Amino acid sequence: MPRTLTRREWLAGSAGTALLSGCGEERPIVPSMVSIVRAPAYDQRLYETVRRMLEEHRLEVRGRHVVLKPNLVEFEPGSSMNTHPLLVHAAFEAFRGMGAASVRIAEGPAHRRNTLDLADAAGYFKIVPRFEDVFVDLNLDEVTRVRPVRQFSRLGALYLPKTVLGADLLVSMPKMKTHHWAGATLSMKNLFGVVPGGIYGWPKNPLHWAGIHESIADLHAIFPRPFAIVDGIVGMEGNGPIEGTPKPVGVLVAGHDPAAVDATCCRIMRIEPLKMEYLRLASGGEAHITERNIRQIGESLPAVATPFELIPEFRWLRMENS
Amino acid sequence: MTIGILADKQNRDGGWPYVRGSSWIEPTAYAVLALLAAGETERARRGLRWMLAIERSDGGWPPKKGIDQSTWVTALVALLPPEELGASAHARAIAWLLGTTGRESTLTYRLREWLLGNAGLSGQEPPGWPWIPDTAAWVGPTSLAVLALDKEYRRRPLPAIRERIDSGRRFLLARVCQEGGWNYGSVRALGYASRPYPETTGMALAALRGVRSPATDRGLAVAQSFLGECRSADALNWLRLGLLAHGQLPVGYCHPLEVTDRTLPDTSLGLLVAEAEKGRDFFLA
Repeated sequence: MPRTLTRREWLAGSAGTALLSGCGEERPIVPSMVSIVRAPAYDQRLYETVRRMLEEHRLEVRGRHVVLKPNLVEFEPGSSMNTHPLLVHAAFEAFRGMGAASVRIAEGPAHRRNTLDLADAAGYFKIVPRFEDVFVDLNLDEVTRVRPVRQFSRLGALYLPKTVLGADLLVSMPKMKTHHWAGATLSMKNLFGVVPGGIYGWPKNPLHWAGIHESIADLHAIFPRPFAIVDGIVGMEGNGPIEGTPKPVGVLVAGHDPAAVDATCCRIMRIEPLKMEYLRLASGGEAHITERNIRQIGESLPAVATPFELIPEFRWLRMENS
Repeated sequence: MTIGILADKQNRDGGWPYVRGSSWIEPTAYAVLALLAAGETERARRGLRWMLAIERSDGGWPPKKGIDQSTWVTALVALLPPEELGASAHARAIAWLLGTTGRESTLTYRLREWLLGNAGLSGQEPPGWPWIPDTAAWVGPTSLAVLALDKEYRRRPLPAIRERIDSGRRFLLARVCQEGGWNYGSVRALGYASRPYPETTGMALAALRGVRSPATDRGLAVAQSFLGECRSADALNWLRLGLLAHGQLPVGYCHPLEVTDRTLPDTSLGLLVAEAEKGRDFFLA
């Protein structure tokens, strides 16, 4: 007498079949281009460096609306936790020079509510002429409710700022830093700053309850193709993203694929990107972030790699042979 | 002059933006308080009508129109005079505050933590208030909720209100930074001490009016040092309020001239603090 399959057995069998059929296929991956460019200091040479770097990526921004999203965290003047304003201004000028219809700088800090005071203390008012006219506090922007195309967390729909949703090109400009919850904070984690504190609070605690890695992946699903420029001129190691110590690396890392850019930054920091949960989640596994699937231009990884100090809780992320 | 700025920036719907754009509850609540203090009742009442129109069915307020969630801004609504807001709307705001705690204080969460072996059922920190329901309690929303309930308690001394004020204050005292003062509410991260902020130190001190403890003394010392070096209008407003609540604002203190109001709440709070310095504290009565 034929045995009837239970529902559970049927589901398990179907999943196994799907897995096996997937194993035989090698999905072709189009390598993402990531550039590593030397930039030894925050000085006037940055303007030319950034302009040339963007030209290499053949970004078409003529007549488009560009939003630059730096990482602003705290007021500490001697710290390297914020994206340097000179780099942001260099990108601002470069995009304007490339014919962008508008370029705005936008950020929604996670802990401090007085965003403009924070930007002032971080040097933005001094470096960026008429800063207040080009800046949008994303914590207090007009919002639209958006549901991620793919959902990794329990967040459901999110209210997000119209400035960012309406941009033709969003440019994530994080600092190259360690992070005491996520391992490292780079271009994908930087998108936490687009979630408006005016709706979700300071800190943006619903993201933490929904899972940091999963929330990063959700935001990546909403903004899958931001351009990324990572400020690795002086990064932060140790107990980042706030209490760490400055780490001079002297590079900018840029590209169209945030997962590939972040994986490259991890390799520079001697962190194993394949161990980074949000990178694996957001990029759908390992294939997309393995080194052979990234077309890297500019400086070679071995030439610029420098181990970032990791707090004990994250030492397991260290790349082998580092 | 600053009252004139508030008048200029009032939106057609009656509310106020943070800087420009659509109306939000926070800038509107502070603007209404400042206008009432200045006797500009007509403009204040237009603001109140806008606020009343966006009250949610659970008795709380969203941060702005079109957001389907009541949040911490309900504490700001509860700070408004009931005779101006309307007694029933005000009572609903107070009830919403009394019924809201950080997620970590809910029975479901504590039971889960107990079952996972992470904590005892009762030995956790006292309940504070979250920015948004179903998340953890933090220093900012807890301070504002305590201020609102303290003001209400002076009108209606009910035990339920007293209990939440006391537990809110205990929450604040449990979140003091190692060097004194308060930040957003995280004292340590993975074993590393976090530093205090001026604005939240001022807010917590304002909420701890009348509480004498080593923690408030250290907070007051930190606030004094912030007062000398800080150049944020928002932070200075809260520092002044916090120090004033403990009678510790230096005599003859002058707001530094180079400090700029960045937002309308900065302007409104500045006016309210100046009134409080003259003895008319709208956070009290």
